[in-house]
Amino acid sequence: MDRGGGMLSAGLTTFIFAVLNSLGYGLLLFLLSSGLTVVFGLLGVLNVAHASFYMLGAYLAYELVQRTGSFWLALIVAPLVLTVLGIICERYMLRRVHALGHWHQLLLTMGLGYVLLEGVKWIWGTESHPMVVPEILTGSINIGGGAYPIYRIFMSVSALVTLGVLAAVLFKTKLGMVVRAAVSNKDMVNALGYNVGYVFTGVFALGAFLAGVAGVIAAPMLSVYPGMAADIGVDIFIVVVVGGLGSLKGALIASLLLGIFQSFGILIVPDFAIFFSFLLMAVVLTLKPMGLYGERAA
Amino acid sequence: MKARATLFKIGLLIVFGAVLVLAPTVVPLSYLYTVTDVVILALFAVSFNLLFGFAGLLSFGHAAYFGVGAYGCALLLSLYPSLPVMAAIGAGALAAAVIGGLIGLICVRRTGPYFAMLTMAFGMLVYLVAWKWRGITGGDDGFGSFVPATIWLPIVGSFKSGDLKLTYLGVLAVIVPVMAAVWATLAFTPYGNAVRSIRLNEERAAFLGFNVFAVKALNYTIACAVAGLAGALYAIAHDFISPQVAGLEMSNDVVMMTFIGGSQSFFGPIVGAIFFVIAGDQLSAVTERWQMIMGVIFIAMVMYVPGGFIGGVAKLFSRRPPSVSSSPRVTQWA
Repeated sequence: MDRGGGMLSAGLTTFIFAVLNSLGYGLLLFLLSSGLTVVFGLLGVLNVAHASFYMLGAYLAYELVQRTGSFWLALIVAPLVLTVLGIICERYMLRRVHALGHWHQLLLTMGLGYVLLEGVKWIWGTESHPMVVPEILTGSINIGGGAYPIYRIFMSVSALVTLGVLAAVLFKTKLGMVVRAAVSNKDMVNALGYNVGYVFTGVFALGAFLAGVAGVIAAPMLSVYPGMAADIGVDIFIVVVVGGLGSLKGALIASLLLGIFQSFGILIVPDFAIFFSFLLMAVVLTLKPMGLYGERAA
Repeated sequence: MKARATLFKIGLLIVFGAVLVLAPTVVPLSYLYTVTDVVILALFAVSFNLLFGFAGLLSFGHAAYFGVGAYGCALLLSLYPSLPVMAAIGAGALAAAVIGGLIGLICVRRTGPYFAMLTMAFGMLVYLVAWKWRGITGGDDGFGSFVPATIWLPIVGSFKSGDLKLTYLGVLAVIVPVMAAVWATLAFTPYGNAVRSIRLNEERAAFLGFNVFAVKALNYTIACAVAGLAGALYAIAHDFISPQVAGLEMSNDVVMMTFIGGSQSFFGPIVGAIFFVIAGDQLSAVTERWQMIMGVIFIAMVMYVPGGFIGGVAKLFSRRPPSVSSSPRVTQWA
């Protein structure tokens, strides 16, 4: 190996890679937890099936790539399918049990997650499927003397772009204003003549869409397997507990924190990195029982 | 009217008890495993419903304590083979009570979805410990053959382990008094009233002078201890355990069986466990996709029969018009 001029020490390279990895995983978590937390803020529903939507997105992408060979097609179609699924779930299932209260909505999404899990096992089997990456995203680039996979960078960038568009819509358009207003007081928005029902459906569908996007872009890196929903599900639950349920800002900070804990945890104690998420949760809950930004949440 | 209903219930209980005791003489030996699972999971579901139906707290990680009980009992027996089996079972329940009590101190501070997420995260934590701590737990492979050659269980006395009939009856002899004790505590003691009042209106209960936090924490600890007992009995009955006993799927199963049976009645979870295990067993003989069917049944029940099986039947027989309440309120425990 050439220990030439522009090369950084191995330790620093490892550090930079860990930072990039934390960012990548943190942004993936935020793609998921943002949908979860906004849906909770607006509908008061904790969507336990959220991670299952992500899993379904990954499986759909896998199937589409197998059949058409186009990753880009999968990146468009799979999230759209999930959007439709989200609309159906909200309008025809969650809304039906709304009058029965929180528990039934929670239980309904739990059952939905269960059925989706059994469904993917049925269709695609229990084994793990590797997913091919389009040619342009294979290979790696040289960062500080180490080879960093291009796909991981693509993952972070596409998550950033998606979230950027979302933020622009949410904070710069009238539609976004109505949604934000509905989160803080839905009855008032309803009285002002907006159809809050449509806002509910739209936001739930948007959450499903984001979960689909996350599933597609995560699939080539994490591969596609039935346990993927439970694996990331616990992490996004920890994110929203740490950040405060209903808070976007909290979800962002907690996602990035969790990404850092995971990526650096793997460097320090490879076998037990997974416990770092729990450590973070225990520390935050001891200091701030409502989560970082959870004051508003009941 | 009330007296007749009570008589009917007592009669039903006697018949049910007779079925349980006579089961090993009627049921083919190969099926006795399943029947043993039914009674163990019924106890597990009852412990879950201490939180869900009784205290209004939905836990997504209750299998963790089932797992702690199972591992506690199995590890003790493999370390000290001369230990009486009942002592190991008790220690398993105690371990679940201690660990559950500590976790409960964090979880019961929150309600609703927060409680659900916290219990799920801690449940995952326990599962991961069982899975990753290979040196002690055997990791993913699990471990077995820890039950000594001769064991003693109440009523049936000493017998050679592996005897399905006596194992079943011994397990039953442990479970029935525990269930009766739990039921009596809920139905007749001030403690039962305290938990109930907190569920109905936490603020008002606090104003009445109840220490809400202490009652909730105690209730969580009891629920964990009973789950641990069920787990320990499971370990004895199967003589094999793996991290699955503490896993999310197990936690999901107990939510489903409790809801399907009816969470608003003490006996609902028992009915649910019977249905879940037996229907699951029958369905799995017909199709590999029985869990899918179970999931669809569960979703359909959540949407159309929100009171579960017992709630649905009670509604059919009730002469009052169905009330239009926004949440299930009144709980009959007797």
